[in-house]
Amino acid sequence: MLILPTMILIVVMMVYPLVQTVIFSFSSVKLPSLTPVFNGLTNFTKVVRDPETPPLVLRTLVWIGGTVVLRFVLGFLGALIFNARVRGTVWLRVLVIIPWTLPSVVGANLWRWMYQGDIGVIDQTLRSLGLGFLAAEWLGDPRLALFSVMVAYSWQGFPFVMLLLLAGLQGIPRDQYEAAALDGANWWRIFRHITLPSLRGIIAIALILEVVGSINSFDTIMIMTGGGPANATLTFGIDIYRTGFSLFDFGGASALSVLMFVAALAVFVLYGFVNQRAVHARGDEL
Amino acid sequence: MAVLSEGSFARRDRRARMARGVGLHVIVWGGGLLLATFSFAPVVWAISTAFTETKNLYSTPPQWIPHPITFDHFAAVISNPDILHGLLNTVIIAISTTIVALIVGVLGAYGFSRYRFPGRNTLLWSVLFTQLFPRVVVIVPFFITLRHLDLMNTRPGLVLVYLMAVFPIAIWLIKGFFDNIPREIEEAAMVDGASLPRMLWQVVIPMCRPALVAVAMYSFILAWNEFLFALVFTQGADLRPLSVTLGFYIDQNGIQWGDLMAASLLMSVPAVIVFIAAQRLLIRGLSEGAVKG
Repeated sequence: MLILPTMILIVVMMVYPLVQTVIFSFSSVKLPSLTPVFNGLTNFTKVVRDPETPPLVLRTLVWIGGTVVLRFVLGFLGALIFNARVRGTVWLRVLVIIPWTLPSVVGANLWRWMYQGDIGVIDQTLRSLGLGFLAAEWLGDPRLALFSVMVAYSWQGFPFVMLLLLAGLQGIPRDQYEAAALDGANWWRIFRHITLPSLRGIIAIALILEVVGSINSFDTIMIMTGGGPANATLTFGIDIYRTGFSLFDFGGASALSVLMFVAALAVFVLYGFVNQRAVHARGDEL
Repeated sequence: MAVLSEGSFARRDRRARMARGVGLHVIVWGGGLLLATFSFAPVVWAISTAFTETKNLYSTPPQWIPHPITFDHFAAVISNPDILHGLLNTVIIAISTTIVALIVGVLGAYGFSRYRFPGRNTLLWSVLFTQLFPRVVVIVPFFITLRHLDLMNTRPGLVLVYLMAVFPIAIWLIKGFFDNIPREIEEAAMVDGASLPRMLWQVVIPMCRPALVAVAMYSFILAWNEFLFALVFTQGADLRPLSVTLGFYIDQNGIQWGDLMAASLLMSVPAVIVFIAAQRLLIRGLSEGAVKG
């Protein structure tokens, strides 16, 4: 009885939408009534045959890989730096966390403003330092746009990775380090054999959250470039939005959603598998 | 093996530690400053832009400290009807989402924590599973559903969608707290003749206040900042939340960057405050979950 609201939510906002989407993905959808007419695999074969699909998938993978790596490298560095607990660095940590607390709309607009060709602060700074030849159309140049958006997105998200890893680092008992230092282990061996293994659980969680977050990311790309220029920043998510809500092809958008859902499901299952193995590994050690 | 006297060992150890200490300080301070600059310089630029006169915005070298300082951008923002509408919508939606999420969360968590019923585990995991849905994947399904429920373009529709995004965290976080409350306390209250709602309200809820605070903050922030769902499920300036208004902030003269940054700062203030307060609670919850495996 108490979980009735939960049940209703799951049925109305999870089961029903999923069923509808699967039906839609096998239909051509009439507007404005949204009546589905069964058309078999047409939507899916259209996606598979579309010459734009392979670059789209590749671009999405580059986006996910690039942002996760950027966020992890920055987050890990930050965690190691601030775990040293050197006096006076607490306020630095606060400054580093701020971007994560800003609404994504604000972060995206801010970077869009800084990236402006010629008038933006990045190009202006480069020029006043005599590095004018490095100035560029950061969002207007198809070769640079994806990378530029990645930096903005990672800027906003890496403090979260940092905080997670920091919490993990602080949970490692100090005497383990002291014992290793007494045994004459250098920092790399300590990092490799004490720090990393102790963080395995947290790294797994951070990784899955970041991958899901990266698949999810829409705001930053949509606001900064809308998928352009020349599709340079068009990822799977933006494509779903475009297909459904600019081209009003709900059958096509549903097919794309189903494909992406299956991909996300694969990540989820893989995570469960990895987690299971981690638990086993820990059990063996004990 | 050489026998070292106690004193020489200690001396060598101290010297080594000092050398390491100095090196460590340099690395930590250098790295920390670099990282903080990368993180915070853009924020400083946003603040500076918001207080700079429009004609000084594009100067070379860039003006990091506005001279003269102007409040024109803020004045323009608070007299802009679109932004005021957006703000009102955002406030209403964020507060509604928070309240409903707490109610659904407490009821659901209590149910899952105290009663065993067939399908309980499946249901509990499917709740968590919804959290891993890519949000872009559900815009089409949610669009269809909202159309059929006649909730497109309404605030309740948006609250319902946000509820879907926050209730898994709400249920799992609060359930973790309920699991740790001994049943005997509730049983004693029941014996004393308290009804279930009264017992929940007077006994259980006060004991899990930290979880409720965390859930409230999380829901509020999510609804306050959300952009994608708001973009897809609302049309027209009357119903759009602030995030969408700012996402496409442009007028016939192009983008007024000074105004946009001023509005962005105003939108950020509540988010930053709540975030800083909630950060410890959320991270602790996540890392404890990780340790438990």
